[in-house]
Amino acid sequence: MSWSAELVEALGRENVITDPARLRTYECDGLTGYRVQPAMVVLPRSAGEVAAAVRVCARHGVPFVARGAGTGLSGGALPVADGIVISLQRLRRIMEVDPVNLRAVVEPGVTNLDISKAAAPYGLYYAPDPSSQQVCTIGGNVAENSGGAHCLKYGFTVNHVLAAEVVLADGTVTRLGGESPQLPGYDLLGAFIGSEGTLGIVTQVTVRLLAKPAAIRTMVADFATVAGAGDAVTGIIAAGIVPAAVEMLDNLAIQAVAASTESVYTPDTAAALVVELDGPPDDVAEQFDEVQEICRRNGSTKIMVAADAEHRALIWRGRKAAFAAVGRISPNYFVQDGVVPRGRLAEVLGRIAAMADDAGIRVANVFHAGDGNLHPLVLYSEGEGQHDRAEHLSTQIAELCVELGGSLSGEHGIGADKACSMPRMFGQDDLATMLRLRSAFDPDGLCNPGKVFPTPRLCGERPGPYRPHPLEEAGVIERL
Amino acid sequence: MSTVTTYRPSTLADLRDAMAESARAGERLAVAGAGTAVEWGGAPEHDAVLDTTAMSGLISYNPTDMTVAVQAGMPLRSLQETLAGNAQWVALDPALAAAGATVGGLVATADAGPVRHTFGASRDSVIGVTVVLADATVARSGGHVIKNVAGYDLAKLFHGSLGTLGVLAEVVLRLHPRPSATATLAVPCHAAAAFDLGGRLIHGSLEPVAVEWCGRVLLARFDGTAGGVEDRGRRAMALAGDGAEWLPGDDERAAAHWAAVADLVRGAEGDTVVRLGTAPDRTPSLAALVAREAAAHDVDAAMTSSPFAGAHTVRLRGGTASQHAAVVTALRAAAPAATVCRWTPGLRDQLPAWGEPPPAVAVLRAVKRAFDPNDRLGKGRFAPWF
Ligand SMILES: Cc1cc2nc3c(=O)[nH]c(=O)nc-3n(C[C@H](O)[C@H](O)[C@H](O)COP(=O)(O)OP(=O)(O)OC[C@H]3O[C@@H](n4cnc5c(N)ncnc54)[C@H](O)[C@@H]3O)c2cc1C
Repeated sequence: MSWSAELVEALGRENVITDPARLRTYECDGLTGYRVQPAMVVLPRSAGEVAAAVRVCARHGVPFVARGAGTGLSGGALPVADGIVISLQRLRRIMEVDPVNLRAVVEPGVTNLDISKAAAPYGLYYAPDPSSQQVCTIGGNVAENSGGAHCLKYGFTVNHVLAAEVVLADGTVTRLGGESPQLPGYDLLGAFIGSEGTLGIVTQVTVRLLAKPAAIRTMVADFATVAGAGDAVTGIIAAGIVPAAVEMLDNLAIQAVAASTESVYTPDTAAALVVELDGPPDDVAEQFDEVQEICRRNGSTKIMVAADAEHRALIWRGRKAAFAAVGRISPNYFVQDGVVPRGRLAEVLGRIAAMADDAGIRVANVFHAGDGNLHPLVLYSEGEGQHDRAEHLSTQIAELCVELGGSLSGEHGIGADKACSMPRMFGQDDLATMLRLRSAFDPDGLCNPGKVFPTPRLCGERPGPYRPHPLEEAGVIERL
Repeated sequence: MSTVTTYRPSTLADLRDAMAESARAGERLAVAGAGTAVEWGGAPEHDAVLDTTAMSGLISYNPTDMTVAVQAGMPLRSLQETLAGNAQWVALDPALAAAGATVGGLVATADAGPVRHTFGASRDSVIGVTVVLADATVARSGGHVIKNVAGYDLAKLFHGSLGTLGVLAEVVLRLHPRPSATATLAVPCHAAAAFDLGGRLIHGSLEPVAVEWCGRVLLARFDGTAGGVEDRGRRAMALAGDGAEWLPGDDERAAAHWAAVADLVRGAEGDTVVRLGTAPDRTPSLAALVAREAAAHDVDAAMTSSPFAGAHTVRLRGGTASQHAAVVTALRAAAPAATVCRWTPGLRDQLPAWGEPPPAVAVLRAVKRAFDPNDRLGKGRFAPWF
């Protein structure tokens, strides 16, 4: 029997897609400039069916790519031609919310936000909050080690997952992690999280839940210069304050927000910081005053404190809508995800501005300033033939981050997008050692091949321009 | 008895050369830091020892970024002293730090102390590593920034590796600010009441940084601003009721309580010390089991737990090796994820080094083969699993 016939037999015809028109939905993720049509998409309904599909692939040497909501921004869920896509969208049961043990057990297709919603009646929530949280899946979060605005204080997916059931590349099912993080042996769970779907498919996840903080205070501080805002961030960190979030928007980003939604930001300020503190009320109150003082000391021209929850939501809506808003002031843009040491924020922003001037290209900045994770948006017009210059600038920015002692990616992953830049950050021996781990999990290289690690085939090709994710265009999700 | 070679490199290049030399000689190698955890699990067969304690330098420290890079042989205690000058710390308080445990050793043993409740184990503070593999390959992963998803995170793989995958040479850590105030709530109570009260402190959003149950006392530490800690103290005392004490940070009794936790975890010559992991709500039943088994086998048992991490340590004292073996066997049945960290003399002859293997043991084996195909490093440490 051919492998495709075997898959149909294992999963049922109604759970298999081969019609080219329907396959098109799966040909890219949020990095829409890269597109590949898979030979088939399968939609298993249980972990057992995932394992059955993988076993067929293993027997026939067919590459497979797991897919959650397809919101990834690095081409991680990009299909392999002649391979299959395994969609986890039908595995979306919340198996258990356990307030006593402060955890939840969920299937991989459950969205990030639905976990917090299920935990809310107990006063609990799931901390990592990517701004795609309404649609992105916990399986995708595990694969990407996703972060969010609040991971400055609370950490990333890897700090909040206790255990995972995983289908390995040979189709066997195993469990990584356990009831408690105190476990003997290599931390396979930790290594798996953030492996971008290359080490196996997650079919169940146990996450930690936190009690909601008693108090939340939010402010927007304006600055006359971007450097001033950067220095304020450094000042806050240096004062020993760990805010829940510190986000920065520069003027171009603020203008974009103002053009698209009801904006609470000052239209003509050079930069704004959104600072949020959460925790016990008295601690928060004391440090909130201190943060305002630090902002003023660093030249803040105006501080607006959120009066109530509604006002806070408005501040966040503007912040989170910034990416989509930028799409309205520029026909095309590239988004970068580089990270720099926090003390070099003002420096890197200055250098990006100078590079943008030299290239005659606009760059908007909206990003997680507290942990040094930039999201420069390189604005250009495909129609005006700016693509190559913009792409070059975009790559230069990512590489500048590495040069300044940072990283190519803070949360979006390497995927197919930045695999070719990996040699900028890691030496040959580093990459070869990482591949030893891959070979231990997946000796035949069938699990999401062509991602993370540079290959000659991949690095010879040039991607198309960034196009907004369809869900983003529809206003369902926002970009951070 | 054959003489055992000792390598004691002081630089990364020395370490790489020592590994190359040892690989050429085909030696079985035991990796050692300060030697505070040499007994964990199986006893490795070895022809040579690689001692990391001469690699104890500070590589770079940038207080503004709140990151630090050290050679892996640096004792955590000395690092914390350096960082204290800037009111910063690595958010790790393992008991073995006081005994001189090295940063690399703490990663290799996946160690953690009571603040695991909030900050996790060493894996959660490490943001970059440089390792030297059995074939002298030098590899790096992660970096110097706190947020970074580029490439696989080898630090996680080495977390808990007990010297069997390679040698940690350099470690980069993220730092946290030292709180301006701290205080401890101490409430004498049995395990079930401790679990219940701990749960109420957490659900009441009082944000204890550590919750520990040790010596029949619930300990909850609160870190924050002076006013914030004082306010939470009032509310925590109200929840805790009679018998509770609120001990400010500089109170000697608070220090004594926490010292007792560390003391129990370290154990002493002749003790058996076992670490276990369970679901949080199994803490009371585990405590009951420990008491029952200890009584049945006539040994003195003490237990300390971070209940909400589900991390427990049981110390057995007095009695014979076979009495200890009977208790350890019962503990392993209750929690297969058990590590014997200290073996009373003679106990090794009575028990396998590890209990039931974890479900992913086949992957553990495959990783070991991929990193150390000739099984040179820490041979037998994970026997009988691999
Ligand atoms: C508007 C917008 C805003 C965003 N904001 C953020 C943000 O704030 N922070 C952030 O970190 N990211 C952000 N992202 C990126 C993206 O949402 C995350 O990477 C998310 O985790 C992807 O989840 P997904 O379900 O869409 O996964 P997909 O895109 O479907 O897949 C992502 C990767 O995960 C793998 N994968 C998916 N499911 C599984 C599984 N069950 N087992 C194994 N591998 C699997 C895929 O193979 C692929 O490699 C944003 C994206 C968009 C479009």
